[in-house]
Formats: sequence, C-alpha cells, structure tokens
Amino acid sequence: MSTATTHLNCKRAHMAYKSLQDKLDHVGSPVEMLRNSQAGPYVYPIPAEFSNWRDEQRAWRETVALMDQSFHMTDLYLQGPDVMRLISHLGVNAFNGFGRNKAKQFVACNHDGYVIGDMILFGLEDDQVSLVGRPAVANWVQFNAETGEYNVKVDRDERTISNPKARKTFRYEIQGPKAIKLLEILNGGPLPDIKFFNMGSTRIAGHTVRALKHGMGGAPGLEFWGPVELGPEIKAAILEAGQEFGLQQIGGRAYGSVAVESGWIPSPMPAIYSGERMKPFREWLKPDSFEAIASLGGSYYSDNIEDYYFSPWDLDYGRLIKFDHDFVGREALQRLSGEAHRQKVTLEWNSEDVLSVYGSLLHDGPSGKYMEMPSAHYATLPFDKVLSNGHMVGVSTYPAYTVNEKRWLSLAVIEAAQAATGSAVSILWGEENGGSIRPVVERHQQKEIRAIVHPWPFPKEARTAYRPLSSQVPK
Amino acid sequence: MKSQASLENLLQSVGNVTEFLRNQQVGPNVYPGVPAEYTNWRDEQRAWQKTCVLFNQSYHMADLLVEGPGAIKLLSYLGVNSFQGFAINKAKQFVPCTDDGYVIGDVILFYLGANQFNLVGRAPVLNWVRFHAETGGYDVRVELDERSARRTDGRRKSYRFQIQGPNALQVISKAIGSQAPDLKFFNMATLKIGGKVVRALRHGMVGQPGFEVFGSWEDGETVRTALIEAGEEFGLRLVGARAYSSNTLESGWIPSPLPAVYTGAAMKKYREWLPADGYEGSCSIGGSFVSPNIENYYTTPWDLGYGPFVKFDHDFIGRDALERMAKGPHRRKVTLALDVEDTLRVMSSMFHKDSRAKAFEFPSAVYSMHPFDQVLVGDRPAGISTWIGYSSNEGKMLTLAMVDEEHAQPGTSVSLLWGEEGGGTRKPTVEPHVQSTIRAVVSPVPYSEVARDSYADGWRTRRT
Repeated sequence: MSTATTHLNCKRAHMAYKSLQDKLDHVGSPVEMLRNSQAGPYVYPIPAEFSNWRDEQRAWRETVALMDQSFHMTDLYLQGPDVMRLISHLGVNAFNGFGRNKAKQFVACNHDGYVIGDMILFGLEDDQVSLVGRPAVANWVQFNAETGEYNVKVDRDERTISNPKARKTFRYEIQGPKAIKLLEILNGGPLPDIKFFNMGSTRIAGHTVRALKHGMGGAPGLEFWGPVELGPEIKAAILEAGQEFGLQQIGGRAYGSVAVESGWIPSPMPAIYSGERMKPFREWLKPDSFEAIASLGGSYYSDNIEDYYFSPWDLDYGRLIKFDHDFVGREALQRLSGEAHRQKVTLEWNSEDVLSVYGSLLHDGPSGKYMEMPSAHYATLPFDKVLSNGHMVGVSTYPAYTVNEKRWLSLAVIEAAQAATGSAVSILWGEENGGSIRPVVERHQQKEIRAIVHPWPFPKEARTAYRPLSSQVPK
Repeated sequence: MKSQASLENLLQSVGNVTEFLRNQQVGPNVYPGVPAEYTNWRDEQRAWQKTCVLFNQSYHMADLLVEGPGAIKLLSYLGVNSFQGFAINKAKQFVPCTDDGYVIGDVILFYLGANQFNLVGRAPVLNWVRFHAETGGYDVRVELDERSARRTDGRRKSYRFQIQGPNALQVISKAIGSQAPDLKFFNMATLKIGGKVVRALRHGMVGQPGFEVFGSWEDGETVRTALIEAGEEFGLRLVGARAYSSNTLESGWIPSPLPAVYTGAAMKKYREWLPADGYEGSCSIGGSFVSPNIENYYTTPWDLGYGPFVKFDHDFIGRDALERMAKGPHRRKVTLALDVEDTLRVMSSMFHKDSRAKAFEFPSAVYSMHPFDQVLVGDRPAGISTWIGYSSNEGKMLTLAMVDEEHAQPGTSVSLLWGEEGGGTRKPTVEPHVQSTIRAVVSPVPYSEVARDSYADGWRTRRT
C-alpha cells in the first residue's frame, strides 16, 4: 500500500475518532497503535545540516554551537494565583523556594508512580511559569488545569510540527567551551552571575533577553528566548560575533545526537495508556495528540503497554522526588522507593558489530536495520532489548554516533546487577520478523551488537580506554 | 546594461579559479521542495527497480522558454546535436559546447509547439542560451523560470513529475483511464490526468518505461494526487530528497559537468554578461582531483557519453574543435563499483580518534556541486570519478566516472582516491579528514555487476 495515501487515510481517521480513548477502543491495544503508526520520519524543523554534522557535533565539544530550539518543543504558559498549587500537585519535584527566575526539570508521574514525562519548568514570575519540551507533560498539566479546581490561565504555544501559526518566542541555546566568552562579547561585558539552572538576563544586539544557565559536557552555556520578531536580528548578531570562535549552527541531524552525549533520555513512554484513573485524560486527549500519533519502534516488543513504563528511578530522576508535598503518584512512589530499581547507563556499542551492520548493506544476504548517522533511532519512542547471556536485562533508547567520542553510544535503562561499569551486554538491533509495517522501516534482519556499560554522561576516562578496531584505515 | 558585478569581475578578484570554487562557502546542496524521506530511502530506492516511483521535479531545475521564428536557428547554432527530424512533440538531450569544444552543460530540450521550446535543467546551459538570445540578433524571446532555491514566491510556472519503474505504464494507464500511449523514447503526447490536460514525455531508465508529465503549476497538486491514487495498487512510492540524488548512479547520467566558461578570450564577453552571484560564480568543486588550471576540469562530449549526439550536419559553436577531437582518443563513461572491504575500512575510520576518512553520506555521498575525484591505476592517473553513493538495489557503493580508453574495459581494476588533500578544503560540507584509496571495478553504464569482490569470504562477511 502506498504510504502517501495511507497518510491521507490516517488524517481522515484522526478526524473520525473523538479522542485518544476512542481511538484506543477501536484499535484495541496501545502497543499495536504505536507500533503500526503510519507517521513518516520525524524531522527536526530546521535545516538538516548547516555545514556538515561532523563539524557541527565537534563545535559543542571544542568551540561553540548555536542550537535553534524555536520550533520543535511545545511551550505551555500558566498564570494565576493557583499556578504553584497546580504544578506542585503534578510534579514529583520539590517546590520550596521556587518562583521567579528559578527553573527545574519538572517530572510528572501517573497515580501508579510511572513517568508521564519531563519538561523544563521556567519561573517567569512568582505566579507565572512556562513548561517547555515534548507535549506529553504539557497535555497532562493542561488537562488538570482545565478540568480541576484551579484559578489558572492556560496559554499553549504548540510545537511547529502541529502548529501552522508562527511561534510566540524564539529560543536559542549557546553551548560549548567558548559559549561564555561569546555571550560576554554579545553582552558587552561580563555576564550576570546566574547559578546553574537559574534564570537571569543578558543583552544581545541591544535587546535584553531572559536566559537559563545550563551546560553540556561540563561547560556552561545559556538558553535564552524572547519575542519571535526579534529572533532573526538576534541570530544574525550571534552568527557575526561567533565567527571568530568557530561557531557552528547545529542542524537537525546533529541535534538529534545531543541527548546521548549529555545523558538525557528524551523518550519515556508516557504512562497514560492504561488504568481507569487516567481514562478521563485519554478521553480529553485529541485523536491527533502526541500520545495518539507517536510511534514505537525497536526490538523490545511486549503486548502490555505497562512494560514500557519507567519509574523516576529508572531515568535517574529518583533524586528529584521530594515527599514534602502532596502530588499525583506520591503514595505509589513512597511504596516503590524501597524497592530495587533499574539504572540509567550509557552503552558503548561494539565498533566491529556496528560495522557489520553497515557491511550487511554491501554483502549478499539480508541487511540489518540501517543505522542513520549520526542518530539511528527510527521511532518517537525507541525501545531496543538489552541482553545479558541471552536474557533481557533492560531497554536501550536513542543510539547515536558522535565524532566527539568516535563511537556509537546509547542511553539504556538496565537491571542493577548488570549496571556496573565495564559489564558486557548486547543490544538487539532491529525489529522482529523482518520489521514492522511502519513507513520508516525497510525489511531487515535483527543483529546482536555487543556493548559495554558505562555511567552517564559517557565519562572522559572511557574515551581513550577502549580501541576495538585493529584494521588500518586510511592509507 | 548590467550594473551589478559580473562573473568576470569576480574571477579577476579571486585569484585562482580552481582554488576559489574548491573553497566555496555554500552549505549542503539540498534537493528542494520534497522531504528528505517520505518513508525511508532504502525502500524508496527499491521501488524504482521493483515497483514504481513518483519523482517530484518541480523545484530543483530551472526552465527557459525559447520562442520565436529564430528559435531553431539559435538552438541549432548552440547545440552539438542534430536538429534534422526534430519536430513538435519530440525532445532531446541538448548539449552546447564552447568554441574549444568543451561542454557547457546538458539539459532537456522540449519541442512544445511551432517555434516554441523549453529547456529544463541546471542553469549554465540556460544562461548560455539567454546570452546568445539577447546579444546574437536572433528573432527570439526567452523567459526564465528560476529554480526554487533562487526564488522566494514558493511557486513555479510548471509542475514536473516523473513516474518511473517497471509498473510505470500501468500507473499511467490507470491514471488516464485507458492504455498508456505507445510512445517512442523522448516523444511526447497530451494526456488527461485528474481532469487536467498534461503533456507527457516518454522517458525511463534503461529497459523500463517511464513518463515525465508537466503542466501549469496550478494543476500540479490535482495531477500529483491522481497519480498517487492510480499508483496505490502498483506499489508507487514517493521519492524524497535523499534517495532522489542517488537515482542517477543506476541510470548513468552525470549531472555535474563543470561549465567550461571560466577561461578563454572568446568567452570573456559571456563572463562579463554573467552575474557574479549566478550559478557559475557560486557553484563548488570537491574531491581529490586538484589542478590549478581550471581547464583540466572541463569535459568533452565524449567524456560524458555524448559522443553519439555530436553531429557535423550543421554549423554550431565548437564544431571545428570537435571535428579535430572526434577521432579520439576519448575518455569513456563507466560505473565504478567500489570494493566492499575498502569501503568498510573507510567507514571504520569513524571509530578512529584521528585520521578519519571523508564521511560517506548515505545514499548520496556527494558533497559539492561538481565532484571530481582521481581514478588511479597503480599510481598513475586513469580518469575522474564524479557522482558517488550507495544503491540498495545493487548492494554497492557506485560512482560515475570518466576513464581513459585503455582502462575502460569492464572488469578492469582501478582505485579511487577518496577525500581532499591536506586535511580537506574549507567548504562547509568538508570536515577535517585524510585521503583514502578505495579499490574499484570498472563496470558498464548503466550499472550491471561484472564481478564479485575478491574478498567476499573475509571476516567481515560473518553475520551476527
């Protein structure tokens, strides 16, 4: 069947269903819905490459990189006297002392203590916040704001892929070892003293913009935003001042590989597809919502959607949980807190085995699943099996190649017994039975790829330790 | 009168032309108007061999309408091609050369109506025709319709789609509701698709029928939708930007001759007419072949496989030079099938701290508008390799090359020098890298396999 027309049919189908719940009632199983998603490839809504993805990756490690985040994330603005009550009811985080110019990685769980998702929470004013990230948490917060007893005004600025209108703000991030130097030049003097994950402001091209301090690979940088009309002028000023530092703009292909280096898992399965208590939310969610159109891919296949859920500890967000307030999932998390948890780790993929996947493209016989460079995931929610001696010990997410580490890495969530640094595991790469019917999946054969367990983010010490290839390369 | 800077001004200011074009600061050359992938490039490639595809060519090429009583005189004076028997509803691959007999480019020339022609392709030929139309005293009118990358209005004069692959005839028959017309190659007919009148050119990769359809821009989406619907039962796939540019590796057309316009007193007037920021002033050269003399990048019609088009039955620019060249020797256009072991060795350098080879992009590994890589036999130059990429239909890395006659026999072992000298040029698409030699087997154009790799039983063939 032609996927172009299938895509048209899907559009019609979205309209036919009243809600996510309605769609699930028709399709039967959330796993089948997600694994058979007819969505085409997800493309970051910026140019694929500005120069080339190798030099772009190198820039955030060696010089300075500009990431344009104005398009791919959903922004949810909340304002009113009950804002803090609403967010503290939904977030596992501590909210003591939160307010203007504070920021957090906001983690929301369902009633059973499983993660719905995470977003960055910005304290814009004492009674105004914004949440920025994948839409799953924004949907959950908006649902609660609109259906609960809260005096809160909700204003949603949807990500570009689902939003034909212009965005409200530009959002840029400058990262890399020369980031602060560049920002100082743009600011015309030293930057204000902003603590990590706190907000302040800086000046660029004569405009004052609000900024969040965070960093990549140990070097601090700023994320800043402002009215969308100022975006082009501010970008032009950055590009001009950045020239002397070797600034690179990060294109869509390199951008997809940022997370694995920084150690963030962008893709927890939103824990909303099961359970009666989440049913009103599923009935509220539109049939074309993120949760309804997301795709699930990879070698891990269970017919029970709950097998894909993560606890906060699985994602290393256990440290963010504070039982100092009442929130959705609190009881369950208190119960779970004493139990064994899986651990988030970096997997270093065996280079020979990766090469044999590429080799299969050139040799006779079935090919392995093509590994796109630098990011090889092929679903919104990538879940590959991690094996140890033939037994499944966890799941691996976004695999990516980075020139900064000269290898393929992925972030994985695995059982504690296998999580020690140096443990040998393997990843099952590709889907069963030749692959699912999703348009992005060509017929292929599963391949087992050996891997070594490391902490996250991938540590410096590991960089030089292991050189698997004996072959002489260029000559 | 032109007030803006000319190509000639630009060339005077840049010093060495080769150096300038090899270090152009233009970013990646993205095939416009369509997504990178509709489904995935592997299945999109497969479809043009196994079922059928729709190529949307409405965006990446420029069109030049040439009309008037002097049109045929102008075109035949510029083209090496014969115009005998050329008639309405026929098309040809139009190849103009310089006085010295070097190729300016090639485009498709459509004979649309009485004294009315359309030229479709890369800009250099269109510019050359415009120059002569404006300065040569011909009774013609020309109208340029720029490609999408050089305009901001988001539209074109015409849409242009190709239906290609073994099921193409069935798709066209379904779309028009009757048997597809039995046209000879490069002949045209008028059809009705989705209620719209379309012109259709019989086209197709070797051994397979295909059609190129075009019409006014406003009808494009209706026609495209009708073709997609007609194609559904025949496995039609839409082809995205990444797969598109690799198609030519299988069909054998070299898209990238360098326009031979940068040198020579005879061409000076033309360079003064060309703008500095046009195609010729902004295109890039890449690869391991380096010569400070830009003329060493020029190609003859024979190099590109257009020798059979050269017909001395009319007077045209370059005729004398081509008559002198005709007896040869000539380079031959061939496909190079890259050695699997060496290809993987180059790819394995991604795991090296230093000394990484130039990255192979999939499926098209082209990183400049005019790729020129050295082909060697031993240490001695044997020719030039151009377009390069991966075909999942063949399971091979292939290149289109022009090699000396003595090395053109299928099965000949040659090698390709992959990457640029001295760590690479300053083009934004070029990361620091080292050069690497890749063995290759000379193969026919269009590609068909002549020999399996000698290393097929090596350790890398094991499958996990």
